[in-house]
Amino acid sequence: MELSLCESGWFAAGSAFPLSCIHTSTSLQKLGKWEKKNRIVYPPQLPGEPRRPAEIYHCRREIKYSKDKMWYLAKLIKGMSIDQALAQLEFNDKKGAKIIKEVLLEAQEMAVRNHNVEFKSNLHIAESLAGKGHYTKRIRLHGKGMFGIMKIVKCHYFVKLVEGPPPLPEPRKTGFDQAKEYVQQLRSRTLVHTL
Amino acid sequence: MVVVVLHMMPPIRHLLQRCWQRLERGLLPAVCGVQSPLWGLAPAVQAPACLPEPAAGTAESGEGPGFLGGVLWMAAPKKRRSIEVNRCRRRNPSKLIPVKRNIDVCPECGNLKLKHVLCGYCYAKVKEGGAFNAPTVESVVLYDGEKPTEKDEGKRIIERARKRPSWFIRN
Repeated sequence: MELSLCESGWFAAGSAFPLSCIHTSTSLQKLGKWEKKNRIVYPPQLPGEPRRPAEIYHCRREIKYSKDKMWYLAKLIKGMSIDQALAQLEFNDKKGAKIIKEVLLEAQEMAVRNHNVEFKSNLHIAESLAGKGHYTKRIRLHGKGMFGIMKIVKCHYFVKLVEGPPPLPEPRKTGFDQAKEYVQQLRSRTLVHTL
Repeated sequence: MVVVVLHMMPPIRHLLQRCWQRLERGLLPAVCGVQSPLWGLAPAVQAPACLPEPAAGTAESGEGPGFLGGVLWMAAPKKRRSIEVNRCRRRNPSKLIPVKRNIDVCPECGNLKLKHVLCGYCYAKVKEGGAFNAPTVESVVLYDGEKPTEKDEGKRIIERARKRPSWFIRN
């Protein structure tokens, strides 16, 4: 809860207002770094510059799921267009798939509403990450009076949507290319530290 | 998970008793250094944490299929797996989720569906009822030149404009 007092009561001049305007602003928890990325405002572009594609950052915090399991889903949709990602997640049986689908739909809606994106399908997933949330420790009882300490795991999920079609995947390096590079390397050898 | 022994397990207590007896007899127990302050029978001889191998102690080393072998010779990791090794295992392509290539669009409602599976939306619509409620009566198929008999009274009649296939005998 942030409290900012406007110090109207302290002016030396004749105004005799007591501390009247106490302005209490409730910020919804502390904003994380990912949420703040949506707030950056670029200066207006010059007429000759290429158009900067819109970037939308969205995340969901403290999801009751494991970060290791969530990582597999994040890796699945990295670099896909948003429609393809939604299709893949819809037919995936994991618990995290449903959650990520909700996050993507929210982000898509935010993009169209707030970030001036024209076509909701013209988005692709530039970054998609899973991070560790807060863990709580609990006691798990075993037989014979033994106990173990179990961790109740939570994770965060972050996604960055960028306007435009998804970038083409890099073509894989063929054996021929590698051989050519090797021969090139051999050919470019010279004598060092000599006249 | 850390497992803490809150009370002694009988086989370990017996093991300790035997170890102590052997110690007193001057023979080397197969295991040394099995000491813990939690166990009440911790031997007073703490200093030689690992007693030196006696010359004729090799007879004891392979303890055979006794209770000792059963309890103590268990597979255990020798070294901690580094994060690089762990990552190689966890991120191996066989463990990544494969991209599905059999997703289509349902021609009826436009939702996504798998190729070999019914559309979920349409299925839910039919299940819920409404315009799809079919009457639960028997149906009878009539081909070219066939007329409904009195047996086909209350049944739903399906007419096909072709000759009757040889395998579909009319009752």
